[in-house]
Amino acid sequence: MLKLFFCLRYLRKKKIVLLSIGAVALSTALLIVVSSLFIGFINAFEQTAVDTIGDVILIAPMRFPKYSQLIEQLQQSHVVKAATATLVNEGLLYLGKGNVRRVNVVGIEPASYSDVTAYKKTLLKQKDSATSPTFETGGATGADGGFVGIAVVAEPDEETDEYDFAAIEKMIGQAVVLTTGAAKQAGTSDLAATQQFIRRTVKLTIADIVFTGVYDLDKALVYLPRQRLQDILYPDANGPIADRLQIKLAEDASEESALAQIRGIWSTFASEQLEWSPYNIDQTTITTAKQMQYRYVAALYKQMRILLLIFGIVSLSVIMLVFCIFYMIVLFKQRDIAVMKSCGAASGSIACIFVGFGASVGIIGSVLGAASGYLITKNINTIEEWIRIVFGLKLWKSSVYIFSQIPNQVDWVSCGKIIALAIAAAIVGTFIPAIVAARTRPVEILRYE
Amino acid sequence: MKHGLDVYKIILASRYLVKRRITYFAIVAVALCVFIVVVVMTVLTGLVSDFKQANHGFTGDCVVGTESLVGFAYFQELAQKLEQQEYVEAVSPVIKSYAFLSPVWTERGRGVQILGIEPVRHSRVTNFERTLHYRKGNVDKAFEPVYDPNLPGCVLGIDLVFERGPEGDYTFDSSPIRVGLAITCFPLTAKGALARAATGLVNTKTFYFSDTSHTGLARTDNSLVYLPLEQAQLMCGMDGPAPRVSALYVKFKPDVALQTGCDNVASLWQNFKQQKAEAKYAYSLDTVTVQSWKEYRRGFVAAMEKEETMMIVMFSLVGITTVFIVFVVFYMVISHKSKDIGVLKSIGVSNANIMQLFMGFAFSVGFLGSVIGVLLGWLFLLKMNQIEGWLFEKFGFQLWDRTIYAIGDIPSRVEFQVLVTITLSAIVTCLMGALVPSWQAARLSPVETLHVSRL
Repeated sequence: MLKLFFCLRYLRKKKIVLLSIGAVALSTALLIVVSSLFIGFINAFEQTAVDTIGDVILIAPMRFPKYSQLIEQLQQSHVVKAATATLVNEGLLYLGKGNVRRVNVVGIEPASYSDVTAYKKTLLKQKDSATSPTFETGGATGADGGFVGIAVVAEPDEETDEYDFAAIEKMIGQAVVLTTGAAKQAGTSDLAATQQFIRRTVKLTIADIVFTGVYDLDKALVYLPRQRLQDILYPDANGPIADRLQIKLAEDASEESALAQIRGIWSTFASEQLEWSPYNIDQTTITTAKQMQYRYVAALYKQMRILLLIFGIVSLSVIMLVFCIFYMIVLFKQRDIAVMKSCGAASGSIACIFVGFGASVGIIGSVLGAASGYLITKNINTIEEWIRIVFGLKLWKSSVYIFSQIPNQVDWVSCGKIIALAIAAAIVGTFIPAIVAARTRPVEILRYE
Repeated sequence: MKHGLDVYKIILASRYLVKRRITYFAIVAVALCVFIVVVVMTVLTGLVSDFKQANHGFTGDCVVGTESLVGFAYFQELAQKLEQQEYVEAVSPVIKSYAFLSPVWTERGRGVQILGIEPVRHSRVTNFERTLHYRKGNVDKAFEPVYDPNLPGCVLGIDLVFERGPEGDYTFDSSPIRVGLAITCFPLTAKGALARAATGLVNTKTFYFSDTSHTGLARTDNSLVYLPLEQAQLMCGMDGPAPRVSALYVKFKPDVALQTGCDNVASLWQNFKQQKAEAKYAYSLDTVTVQSWKEYRRGFVAAMEKEETMMIVMFSLVGITTVFIVFVVFYMVISHKSKDIGVLKSIGVSNANIMQLFMGFAFSVGFLGSVIGVLLGWLFLLKMNQIEGWLFEKFGFQLWDRTIYAIGDIPSRVEFQVLVTITLSAIVTCLMGALVPSWQAARLSPVETLHVSRL
């Protein structure tokens, strides 16, 4: 009880302790903000991959038919909730006078694609529709409908990095021209032989605009009906074909076992139905959306750890600060300590007072720091906007950092670790002063001279 | 007497520095912060500088051009006028557009950016020749494949052809592989409409891989294809009675300041535009702007500069902790030295001199701490790439994965200006931390401090 009394008294009376609380709070807030922003960015990156691709993607080394049978077999396995086939290619999109863009063309089956990915909520016009998204253009010109990424048709404002949605929605119904194509081997092994390039241009009407919030996707995405894209690229194909399968796993399926099952089903399907060689079957990539991003995500985690290490090393100065302050308090309070010891307080108890005092500083500082870190992280977009308005400095641009908004989720796991480290640092800083206080000799301190 | 008191300031400051062991904490804290800041800012500044240099080398000093894929007419006349100016070293006409590329080794195609150039002229303005591999030293033959100079060649961004190795290097064959690439463009009329609306809308031609270009700019090396200017004009519909280009890249003479040169070019451009006001294709000149390389590439460069600014701000926040430490240390020192201060004041030392004494002490702490931090930082930077190489060899650890990040060695050249800025900041930080305790020391009354009960 006496220990608690002295802890609280020193906390209230010694104003210089506020400095150490401030230093702990500052370091804690900085580390929490940095780790939350990084982890938020990484999580958003991984989640975007899942929302765009699904849980698992199967990429075959060449196009394959009879995919509906494969989908049926996969769904019978109970680890797969839904699957959809896609065709992917690149192309050029002519939007108007002098305006040509490079695009990634994805042929989809709208109904099953909605079951696997979250693309419906990215459509500006049809996101709230009760039915599955459709490529119909309302009879405009008879041209095929397509969904086009928002950054293909417009750029965000240079200053605010925001799109003019009103103007962009007016582009729905606009006619555009897509050129794409596929190469066909000329039937010779000579690499220098002129390739037979099947080039196709097709008039499209923009049926909807896609806004994923991920600039790299929005600046190049064009969705077309899969069958239509097949007709454009591979008019001679027999039956529906695809070059990849995007898969949504069942809620309770574990990724590892699901991947193993999917590989098994694919292997059987490819050898029996497609009559592919073991080499081509092996060349098929079957991976989760998160695994596809693994290298980039690993690089981001590494950058985060290095930055936290750097700030952590500098924050070690918090330990020095706590040490200095407590050492000073111990020197000033030597008489008090001597009186306590002469009344019978043990050295251990004296040391505990100061260690407890240090822990209190750590707890208060880290709680304040965590609260500040939480507020800053949650309001980071507002703060960024405020900086733009006051200083004219646009810190976050979607064209540089991929996302339109700064991910602002606080990572409580790393927050907890940082708080624990901050308290530990404060306690470590009090060790030597606590030992000095414990070793105080009342006889020497209370002597008259 | 005055001189004697001044000497006392130095003696006492030195004595406190040496005798008061608590001062070592302040020195260590300053040294630690300075070390971290020197290392981080040197690396970051080096990366930004390398990036800026690569961007500058890619475009030359000034760009007269349009973002529209239609381009602008009368460029030969404009180029001639520019080359006659005494401040201009060289001019290179350039076509920028998008194309669809399909190599023979895959049935897939991909979108790329094409840059139509005249290689020799372009090398006088940019560092194009230095980016080549097989034709470095023979830039006039950049578009002539070694295996058959009669074939129409193209130069590809290096990441379109090769994969970056774990140490950021590329493995080249002794000569380029003979491979044909079908390149397809949308030709546009001078008014921006599709030029071949009746006949298929696009132009396709096969080019042959002749060389790679390694600019050090990731987005460029991953998506750029250089073509001969005339071929690019043909494919983009920019040939005809009034041939067009997308831009003129301009290099100034070495003694010409960038802004001065750009202002002169802008003035020349305005005159030229006025002269052509009645010409048939005058409307194509409406979207043309004159920009320095910094403005032209600001979308890329500004992002890096902002990162640098944000790091400086974050380290400033961390530096506040150092201010706290210096404050506490000085508070402690002054608390223990109140008798000394009382004695000094009783023999006539003024408040200002007392403050000077302790501010001098703070200056010494800051100076010593920053010298130690700078020396350690410099040593670490000297060996940083070797340390990273050793870590990679033993543990597979790299600070930046070279297969993802387009950098070579980590920049470790210490800039004198950066060192001076950091040292001065550290000293100012110490002075700020010591300000309040010094002022309190100066206000101490000798009567109170030398009172018998206080002694």
